[in-house]
Amino acid sequence: MQWILSELESIRHFLGMGGDVLVAIFILSVFLWCALLERWFYFIFVAPRAAKSVVTQWQQRKDHKSWASKRIREELVSQRDIENKRGLPIVKVLIAMCPLLGLLGTVVGMIHVFDTLAVVGTGSPRAMASGISKATIPTLAGMVASLSGLFFSTRLDHLAKLSTRKLEDKLKHVTS
Amino acid sequence: MKGIKYLFAGIAAVTLSLSHVQANTLDELLNQIKSERVTESQQNREREAAFLADKENQAALLAKAKEELAFESQRGEDLKATFDSNDKTLTELSETLRQRSGSLGEMFGVVRQFSGEFNGLFSASQNAVQFPEREALLTKLAESKELPSITELEQFWQIIMEQMIVSGDTSTVPATVVYGEGSEAQDDVTLIGEFNAIANGKYLTYEPETGKFEELARQPVDSILSNVAAFESASSDYAPLHIDPSRGVILSLLVQSPNVQERIDQGGIVGYIILAMGAVGLLIALFCYLRLSVIGNKIRKQKKSEEAIGSNPLGEVITAYKEHQGASLEDLEAKLDEIIMRNAPKIERFIGSIKLFASVAPLLGLLGTVMGMIGTFQAITLFGTGDPKLMAGGISEALVTTMLGLVVAIPLLFLYTFVHSKGRRLVQTLEEQSAGFIARYQEKLHTAES
Repeated sequence: MQWILSELESIRHFLGMGGDVLVAIFILSVFLWCALLERWFYFIFVAPRAAKSVVTQWQQRKDHKSWASKRIREELVSQRDIENKRGLPIVKVLIAMCPLLGLLGTVVGMIHVFDTLAVVGTGSPRAMASGISKATIPTLAGMVASLSGLFFSTRLDHLAKLSTRKLEDKLKHVTS
Repeated sequence: MKGIKYLFAGIAAVTLSLSHVQANTLDELLNQIKSERVTESQQNREREAAFLADKENQAALLAKAKEELAFESQRGEDLKATFDSNDKTLTELSETLRQRSGSLGEMFGVVRQFSGEFNGLFSASQNAVQFPEREALLTKLAESKELPSITELEQFWQIIMEQMIVSGDTSTVPATVVYGEGSEAQDDVTLIGEFNAIANGKYLTYEPETGKFEELARQPVDSILSNVAAFESASSDYAPLHIDPSRGVILSLLVQSPNVQERIDQGGIVGYIILAMGAVGLLIALFCYLRLSVIGNKIRKQKKSEEAIGSNPLGEVITAYKEHQGASLEDLEAKLDEIIMRNAPKIERFIGSIKLFASVAPLLGLLGTVMGMIGTFQAITLFGTGDPKLMAGGISEALVTTMLGLVVAIPLLFLYTFVHSKGRRLVQTLEEQSAGFIARYQEKLHTAES
């Protein structure tokens, strides 16, 4: 319990150093990871079951060769494909937004630094420190958040394609 | 003519008198001189006698003056001797005084120095309004050359003790408060130690020069400010409150930091253009989203019904199928393709422009940056680099436009992806599933027939 509290305190301290933009990056990366976990959950638990039900639905058909059944097969695959790819563009754009927000943090921090310069002059580097930490920490955090998501997003993309292709393979044109 | 006549008359008269002296004989002149010599020597004798008499008189005066001088110099010596002896006594006495006061003298110095320092601290502290009578005593202790009396010393340390206690206390005192528009009012001010003063739910700063409180023109954010009113009305012993440990310095710096409106104004014309673009992009995104939701809902409803309802892409597909009943499958497929081809651009209309806005906004931000830098370098050319404040305007324009560009681009990018993937899904559904829908429909008809 004590450990969690001290961790929370250090997170709050970190967020305080980075200013509002860091909070935005934090919220964004929480969203990103929620989306990523949702997709993982989907590919592990939901997708195989759905694929199985589609396969049984296909196998229950007597006719596998006519124009109509080909179109129905296409429809079934397309429905699964749409479901597989749902949310992946959002994940990608979240990953792209993190460094942009980091850049925004840099600019906001620089504005802060120049505000300080205009008031106190160049004599006091100590006064500029808070602005500089506001400029650098969000950049770092944005990079880290984006890089951390990048690998998993690529992997999920691959999984989505793979899942669709596997389903396509399973829907055979001849009754076995 | 008349003047000349007078001149001649004058010359004639002088000639007459000269001729009169010359007219006397030399004997007469000799006689005259002799007789005059007799009278002159007579006179000289008389004067000589007078001088001699006077000389004696002067000698008497001289003697008298000498006598006076002797007396006075005697008196001078006497006085000098008195002075010397007095001086000696004085030295002895002051030595005795020094010896007798001893460490007391050191203490006097310490008291003087410390009361001077304390007076400075005290008059800068906001608690000065609570004890207006203190300053007279402190000034007296700091500036007088006399040894302080025991009562004064006792008062001094009591003041220090009081100040120590007061700096840890919260107290409410009546004081003059100057409000933003310059009006003054007598209000109950709550002093939190030496740190902050609050009144009517607002933070105040203390002005030592005038001895009045000033309401801060710009108050801290609401989350901090909301504690103030709660603190003032608190009835229990403890209530949360944010205090400024720098005794008001941080709070007074707050006034200088610009608010959102001023910040946006710093961006200049480019900043407004970026914001306008952001607003337009936002409206387009909202419009696209609503349109796509309507189309999606219609398609979903259409999937459940067998008759074509309203104007929607899937309904068009069904109408086309019904019209081509009995025609070959190739014809039907060609017709379906045509419908999809016609509908796909309709669905994706305007979505691209969101992306356009999202990518133009940072570019405009860059433009603003460059314009701001030009302003900065102009300032440098005119005034040199000596004063950073002169460059601040250009730099803040440069940075604020960059910031606005990013602030507009990031949400637009997100909205674009959101709307685009929604549209993409609809098009994909139409492209890949409308034929399946028709096939299913067909099969259902067949099973109904058989």
